[in-house]
Amino acid sequence: MRDVAVVGVGMHPFGKFADRSVTDLCHTAVTAALADAGIGWRDVDAVAAASSRFSGGKGWGLNGNDVVEDMGSTGIPVYNMSAGCAAGGNAFNVGYSLVAGGMYDTVLVVGGEKMPKGFIQTSGVEEETDPEFLRQRCVGMPGPAFWALLCRRRMAEFGTTEEQLAGIAVKAHQIGKHNDNARFRQEFSVADVLGSNMVSDPLRLYEICPVSDGAAAAVICSADKARALTSSPVWVAGSAVATMRFDDGLPRGLAGVVPDGPTHHSEAALAVGKALDQAGAEPTDVDFVELQDNTVYYELAFPEDWGLCKPGEAEHLLAAGETMPTGSLPINPSGGFLCFGEATTAMGVFQVAELTWQLRGQAGARQVPGAALGLAQTLGLGGNATAVVLKK
Amino acid sequence: MTTPTPVVEGLFADTDGGARLYGSRCANCSVPYFPRTDTCRNPDCDDSRIGDAEFGPTGRLWSYSVQNYPSPPPAVYDEPYVPYALGVVDLDDGLRVVGRMDVDDPAALEVGGAVELVLAPLSHDDDGNELISWMFRPA
Ligand SMILES: [Zn+2]
Repeated sequence: MRDVAVVGVGMHPFGKFADRSVTDLCHTAVTAALADAGIGWRDVDAVAAASSRFSGGKGWGLNGNDVVEDMGSTGIPVYNMSAGCAAGGNAFNVGYSLVAGGMYDTVLVVGGEKMPKGFIQTSGVEEETDPEFLRQRCVGMPGPAFWALLCRRRMAEFGTTEEQLAGIAVKAHQIGKHNDNARFRQEFSVADVLGSNMVSDPLRLYEICPVSDGAAAAVICSADKARALTSSPVWVAGSAVATMRFDDGLPRGLAGVVPDGPTHHSEAALAVGKALDQAGAEPTDVDFVELQDNTVYYELAFPEDWGLCKPGEAEHLLAAGETMPTGSLPINPSGGFLCFGEATTAMGVFQVAELTWQLRGQAGARQVPGAALGLAQTLGLGGNATAVVLKK
Repeated sequence: MTTPTPVVEGLFADTDGGARLYGSRCANCSVPYFPRTDTCRNPDCDDSRIGDAEFGPTGRLWSYSVQNYPSPPPAVYDEPYVPYALGVVDLDDGLRVVGRMDVDDPAALEVGGAVELVLAPLSHDDDGNELISWMFRPA
């Protein structure tokens, strides 16, 4: 396997853009990433695209083909990857693998989305053999209910309070206000968060990320190419994809087996473990992490799952300010999904952009001092997860 | 004349011993499934031997939440919408299963508390018939 570097990243700011197509959003992100890398469109050997579930111009998740037509049809191969909210991370992993394996020297990874209004619906299937159909018809249990159930369990196990949950949203916006690409840049107080509508008890509106429109792109290339382009490339130390385990503790349909111990979000833990292994890094070597905070709950559970801190310690790290960019375990120095809103397929690539800016020391007021090794993670429908470790 | 109607046929029934869920269990690895399955999906099981199994009625509440907004279709509910509680229950026979909680006040629920399987109405169809599903009630 060859060494692979990230040499250019770019984004379209997140928000709601009624008069711009998803291809328009991707155009902005791709153009910025190419300029950041100092290369032209003709230098791209292949595209790994996170395929849209909602708004691909061709309607079948062929985002990458739209991007290539828009940038100029050079005849390069396009790989459209589908993995729900993990698609951006999946596309990055495929692009990484193609360069590491020697198939191509320079690959563009791109994800972009224009989201429908409201919470993301899961299955559109109207069949009694479909587990999600049965769960919705017989119980009435949409996606956010999963987060609420996991969160309530944590409250019972560790004594997590509603104020602590609100504190995570407060912290996210203290950081996100410094990020020009973020959609929600105002600060909230704990009282503001606790005053927002209860959505899926115990989770409130400001404790769950809304949906946004946005796009992100990254140019990755072989070590030889990277050194010719820049004196300070950011290296891909690990990139992994995983799916959930059979004994995962949260039934995704109607039921599962009672597991022996805590085995939730098993796909995320597997992907992170594999990526850290590839990087030859211990969890304690991670300088900062961008994790998928669809809900504040994940910011408590994930670092503990992955060994970044001890079980039950996450609330204390938050209270002590250790999860701020200047703390001992900075979490989501970008502001995270809570400040951006989720543009599903863009998220894994957006995280790569943030890691790259942090490792280059270009993150301004949200810079993690001395950032040398960063971890990013996504989690998507279908039991998909991805992780990437970047280093200076 | 209205008739209580299962919201989906074949998943549950009332018996002399109380409500039961109809699923499967693998005779080789004893993993339970709900709804029914044709094959064992346990990656550590090398001899799928699936047979019919019934689950319930007693278990413990693993966690719960309240659905404060109407879940999108194909969920069913009567107008005006009234928030309801949801639970994940560990049945004594080894099945972890989701379901609505049949309680008026969710504050009465407790993680780890004993619950029992019941059949109760989710909503009504256009002809006024009750649509029945499985639920859990504090025991
Ligand atoms: Zn078996």
